[in-house]
Amino acid sequence: MNTAATVSSRPKATLRGKSSSDSRALDFATLGRAPLRMSLNGRRVTSRDLQIVEATEELLDAEVPDPEGVANDVSLLRGFNATIPSAEKSRSRRRQTRNVEVGEKLGLRRLGMSARGMLMDEEEHESNHESQSVASEDDIVMVGGRGRKERGRGRRRGRESLAAGKKLGVEELKRQSEEIKRDKENLHVKRTLINNEITEITHKIEALDKIREKLEQDLLKLQEDDLELDDELEGVREQLDLELSARGAPRPPSQVPHSSRRRKGPLFLPSEHDELPPGVAFMTPITALDFSEPYGTLVTASQEDSQPRVWDLLTGEEIGRLRGHNGAVKCIQVEDNVCLTGGEDGNVRLWDLRRVDEEDDWEGVGEVGNLSVVAEGDESHEDDGELVEKPNGVKSIRNGTHGNEGDKPGPCVRVLEGHSKAVSTLYFEDDCLVTGASDKTLRQWDLSTGQCVMTMDILWAISHPTSSTPGSTLPAHLIPGAAAAAGSFAVPTPPYADGSWEMYQDFVGAVQFWGYALVSGSGDGAVRMWDMRTGQTHRTLLGHTGPVTCLQFDELHIASGSLDKSIRIWDLRTGGIFETLKYDHAVTSLQFDSRKVVAATGENGIKIYNRTSMQHSTLLTNGHTRPVEKLRYMDRYLVSGGRDAMVKIWAL
Amino acid sequence: MPTELPYAADAEVSLSYDELEVLRLQYEKEVEAGHVTVQTKFNYAWGLVKSPVREDQVEGVRLLQEIYRAEPARRRECLYYLALGHYKMGNYEDAKKFNGLLLEKEPTNLQAHSLQTLVDQRLARDGYIGMALAGGAAAIGAILLTGLIRRATRK
Repeated sequence: MNTAATVSSRPKATLRGKSSSDSRALDFATLGRAPLRMSLNGRRVTSRDLQIVEATEELLDAEVPDPEGVANDVSLLRGFNATIPSAEKSRSRRRQTRNVEVGEKLGLRRLGMSARGMLMDEEEHESNHESQSVASEDDIVMVGGRGRKERGRGRRRGRESLAAGKKLGVEELKRQSEEIKRDKENLHVKRTLINNEITEITHKIEALDKIREKLEQDLLKLQEDDLELDDELEGVREQLDLELSARGAPRPPSQVPHSSRRRKGPLFLPSEHDELPPGVAFMTPITALDFSEPYGTLVTASQEDSQPRVWDLLTGEEIGRLRGHNGAVKCIQVEDNVCLTGGEDGNVRLWDLRRVDEEDDWEGVGEVGNLSVVAEGDESHEDDGELVEKPNGVKSIRNGTHGNEGDKPGPCVRVLEGHSKAVSTLYFEDDCLVTGASDKTLRQWDLSTGQCVMTMDILWAISHPTSSTPGSTLPAHLIPGAAAAAGSFAVPTPPYADGSWEMYQDFVGAVQFWGYALVSGSGDGAVRMWDMRTGQTHRTLLGHTGPVTCLQFDELHIASGSLDKSIRIWDLRTGGIFETLKYDHAVTSLQFDSRKVVAATGENGIKIYNRTSMQHSTLLTNGHTRPVEKLRYMDRYLVSGGRDAMVKIWAL
Repeated sequence: MPTELPYAADAEVSLSYDELEVLRLQYEKEVEAGHVTVQTKFNYAWGLVKSPVREDQVEGVRLLQEIYRAEPARRRECLYYLALGHYKMGNYEDAKKFNGLLLEKEPTNLQAHSLQTLVDQRLARDGYIGMALAGGAAAIGAILLTGLIRRATRK
């Protein structure tokens, strides 16, 4: 009784709760229901009941849109009727009748169309047939037994019928055709349902794929952050070491570089691929190089050679060459698989490095006049056949004129023409390219259209200095030979470490931009900061006494190296000189980050300046045999090219 | 176009146990696979609602509520099925509410109208019973009261 009492009290409580919340004239109804509930349903109120009741309110508030798409075509009930097992009922029944018939009367019944049998008998027969099928739908084993009964009756009927074979009556046939029609509709319904599900799942998969891509990008970002943190940690550790050593007993300063530099020196060069094959590779000093990523693709250019070479840094082998330029290539930049080169012919070419493989057959032919190898390339191309027999000098010229536009498109995607003199430097990012040329102009290009967007004239800037320039007259700061507006620019370089020197003719030594802020270093020794929106110089940094050959800037500083044997580090915001590094020879290439400055300073060794400890060091081991001309590094992977026509790869 | 719905009588006809089993297995298989199609869920829920066992009806209504929440396109039909489910369970107010919402959307729906009449009938019946009970209770109360008063006045 107790349990019954507790049970009954709870429904009453909910009922009363409901009635009080409803506050309608249904109190009688709830009251009326209570005794029924108590007497008839002795079951417990489960959590599910309460769940349902609670959910009702929320659901009623939800919006009910008009049904569309599948919901409109196929109502739930229709789908239900199409997909429940009993939908198969009629089909299996028909199959059963057919099976029985086949067993009995050689399938004549199936073929029988005319109603020659006794219709009355047929109907009776069919009604029995029907009830039996309904009863035995679940039990197919019964067919045999039923069949036997059928057969018995059928035989009896057969004796009574006039026709030789027992035929299906008209009604039965009509019903079967109806059922078949219905089954076909059911099939159609099922198909619609499944198609709908498939599209839904496809959408879900797409959404999940997008999420996965985002997550992978996040993962990449985390990896980058990780590398940055490692870098920071090392820097901090160095500083810590310095602090500790400074606090300790005074030690000869030579020891400090040992502790901070040895870690980084060329102690552990990557063993297998620290050098590209010498001799065969180049004949002349490297003039430009760039690579896409550590162990990625490297593109190098050398003097007198109009075809930069493309190397695979993983294997150390040459993949191909970039044909197209008519003069030496003076500047290269590589980003992923896009390469931009600027040459003496004044053109800038855009290359797709993935397509360099297509030129492979041409690569089989060596440059060094090796005729046997030349013959090999013969069979692959008819064009090659003619060219190959000629000496190499002619061949390269022929290649130059043939271009890649002949048979295959080749890796050159676009040619940007506009400069009248040699393009000595370039820098691009995404779709924007800035080039500096010996015609003393800087041009900004849009890489998607290939059009020159803006031309910035340095001579104009020289003769119209902005107000922020300290000092009044120009020539006082410029070196002789550069102020001549009409004449061409040529300055003898100070001798390299091995005594050689040459005429430096690049008026624009280096450019770099970020957003719309452009920085250029030019032959008058000035580092200019331009606004690419207006094309005007808004600041000129004077200090170098020789042409600027290389520069780089980051968020805080600009570093510029010049033929006056110094590297100056400027503060980006104020334009004041932050630091000056003096070397023994002209600086031809530099790259810096927050912790170090790596420079090629006309010596065989690569100079590394540690900005935290303010110490210099040199990479010499297994190094170049003639002065280093160009270098570039990414993280701890440094590639350097020198006048010894070799490219060396270092681990920092 | 009015939605195709079964009359309430259809809800009283239950499926055979085997059929329900098949539907249940289909549903659970899809749950395990991770993706339950609306049709399977509805098949199972409708089969449950049709059954005479109260727990099944509760479970059926719960599944229908899930469908209602998940698929806005199907909500109009679900209103009717939910109303039917509640009607079978005896929650006449909920049935009335759902049905009312459906009739707002589709005033010409025959099945909805017939369900409304049924629900109203049941409510009226319960009302009569309630009134009878209340009346009876009032009568008993009155008799007791008169008895007490007479006893009081006699003394």
